[in-house]
Amino acid sequence: MIYVLYFIVFMICIYTARHYWFTLNRLFGFQRHPYIDIDTASWPLVTVLVAAHNEEKVISNILSALMTVKYPEDRMLVIPVNDRSTDGTRAIIDEFVARFPGRIWPFHRVAGKSGKAAALKDAMELVKTEVILIFDADYIPGAGLIKQLVAPFFDPEVGGVMGRVVPLNVGTNLLTRLLDLERTGGYQVDQQARMNLRLVPQHGGTVAGVRLSALREIGGWNDKSLTEDTDLTYRLLLYGWKTAYQNRSECYEEVPETWAVRIKQIMRWAKGHNQAMVTYGLRLLLGKHRATLRERIDGVLLLGIYVMAPVTLLGWALALAVFFQGLAPLHGVIALFSLTAYAALGNLAAFFEIAAAARLDGTRTRICLLPFLVLGFAVSIFSVSRAALSQVSDLVTGAELHWDKTERFRKVS
Amino acid sequence: MNPFFAVAGLILFVSLMFMLPLVPALVELKRKSDALPLNVIQQHAGEIRHFANSFRTYIQVLQPTLRRCVASGATASGALPDGVKYLALGRCDDPQALPIQQPGAICPVTIVAGSDIIVPPETTFVRDIYAGGRFRGGDNNSYRAILGEEDVHLGRFSRVTRWVHAVGEFAADPGCGLSGRISSDSCIRLQGACTFLRLNAPRIEIGPARAGEDSMPPNSEDRAVEGSESVQRFLYDGNFEVHAGELITGNIVARGKLHVGSGARIRGSVKSAGDMLLETGVSVRGSAISGRQMLIGPDCVINGPVVAEHSLRIAAGVQCGSLSHPTTVSAPRMEVEEGVAVFGTLWAREHGEVVTIP
Repeated sequence: MIYVLYFIVFMICIYTARHYWFTLNRLFGFQRHPYIDIDTASWPLVTVLVAAHNEEKVISNILSALMTVKYPEDRMLVIPVNDRSTDGTRAIIDEFVARFPGRIWPFHRVAGKSGKAAALKDAMELVKTEVILIFDADYIPGAGLIKQLVAPFFDPEVGGVMGRVVPLNVGTNLLTRLLDLERTGGYQVDQQARMNLRLVPQHGGTVAGVRLSALREIGGWNDKSLTEDTDLTYRLLLYGWKTAYQNRSECYEEVPETWAVRIKQIMRWAKGHNQAMVTYGLRLLLGKHRATLRERIDGVLLLGIYVMAPVTLLGWALALAVFFQGLAPLHGVIALFSLTAYAALGNLAAFFEIAAAARLDGTRTRICLLPFLVLGFAVSIFSVSRAALSQVSDLVTGAELHWDKTERFRKVS
Repeated sequence: MNPFFAVAGLILFVSLMFMLPLVPALVELKRKSDALPLNVIQQHAGEIRHFANSFRTYIQVLQPTLRRCVASGATASGALPDGVKYLALGRCDDPQALPIQQPGAICPVTIVAGSDIIVPPETTFVRDIYAGGRFRGGDNNSYRAILGEEDVHLGRFSRVTRWVHAVGEFAADPGCGLSGRISSDSCIRLQGACTFLRLNAPRIEIGPARAGEDSMPPNSEDRAVEGSESVQRFLYDGNFEVHAGELITGNIVARGKLHVGSGARIRGSVKSAGDMLLETGVSVRGSAISGRQMLIGPDCVINGPVVAEHSLRIAAGVQCGSLSHPTTVSAPRMEVEEGVAVFGTLWAREHGEVVTIP
């Protein structure tokens, strides 16, 4: 038991050190933005896929925005992937098709497997261009975003591209403000540090792009995956394709406004991530493929982030058990450290990362909300642990993983 | 003291101490003083002419005054709606016409000229300048910003701190320091020892004009296809060398250094995580991307974007892009020899310099 506890503490220390490394790199290291200066080029043909499942509240916003972006009109085709919507999504899309003839090519999917990956997979029969961009329907791309996301594909090593997601409904309530802080830390520090250090920037599946030839080489979209973005990241990596992160390619999104929706969202992410860990973890670390050593290590650590929640809970339980059993190596220091390691050092590292990210963004007062992140952390650790447990039970019972769409909160426009 | 009150007091005190960090958080949650989304400028598209276009709009109110001055050949002065003082010049093709005469003078007003304008040397212009016709600057001048409706020509050792846009051709004599954005709707010509950051024009020529040359490079057969098409990828985990004269169809990715020998032709793009060396006469149909330093030898032709993450040196005779296929050449630090032509954008994030080869 004590050795399991030692291992858990060791893992917590690894993740804590990783947080500090990323943050210090963002504050003091060399920053890589290699493609952001490409503002003039013979822009390639690009297909923009907009994943939409019952998106009548938001679909017109993104289609309007895409029709006004600064990209040659004759080089860009928008394909709204209307995935079995039962609301007014289809009518809104068709209205846009009529208003912008030749620029929007709708894909109305009326049957088939549920999930974004399955819908994208079916929509691929319409895609003829080498560069594909993907947006969820609740995103609002700015005028220069398409060029910024296309530019990295001039690098023949880049198979995927990821932009930065910026919450739009920040001020709604405590939850949206906490999610804003989390996103800030995740993109401004985590993703950019991975880009700087040539590690594994994660493909987010929206405000993102993929190279058609790379997608074909890795076997296309995996419709068995709950998080097609994580799945894509790792398959690209195994085949020697890079995912480029563009921190200055920002796009607004809507974050969940209720805890119930947030819990559902993070549970889906956890299950999908864990699914990818089981599928690719060992192969990435030890297999014969094209990822570099640092990509192997970072990739595995990235895959393990959602497992750390139940592991931390287990660590707390073990620490208590060890203490009450009278096993107190180093006069109880180990037990004490086990109990407090994540809460003190681990969280401090994460908080430091978020505070640094807020500073890099030039926002200051919102840092005051950092203590409330303990609440977000508590909700996440139990939700993610619950997701892991249900995944194990699904494995035993043979139940299929179920894809849940995140609820939208925007008023119908 | 009653032990009950002592314990209760201690608990209360500890609770208060625990709540202390939450006070600013609760205040911010209530006040929402920093609850707006991060400011993403939705219309921002990185347009180099942004400031020039804004300035043109800004001085629109002076057009009637300027027309009167041009008709009468007179000079008018006053203040713009925001209080900035201006000088409207009807006729200014003689530097003697300007109210700035002595060397070392500082011109504190916005100058708006209705026709051609010639400004005297050794002068600092702390406000923006608008030229309705051609602009010709004297030597050793310092400018904040210039908008020229025709050609703009800066004298030797002049300095620009913010931006210049010429609807016609932009030319800088030797030794000029061009900070900020320099753009032209026609052509940019820089002479030896000029420094620059961001240049954009259909055609950018470094050094003396290359008489009689058109936009097409010697290997025109390689130029019909764009850089991001789907072609085979060759991925090498270490260093890689393309031998002189070799023809390769596909994208080359080297995880180490990449060395492309003289006269080699790449029908695709090239990428190296380490340094990249393109020797004399190499042609690349797509892009050239280096994770560190890049050296492009004489007479190379690159069709697509050129990016070096650390530094870039471009030798004489190199051509990047063409009139029909504009492109971007970018690196934090860049040295460009005389005799280079770039069609599109030349962007040195930290320092760019024209190097004269004796």
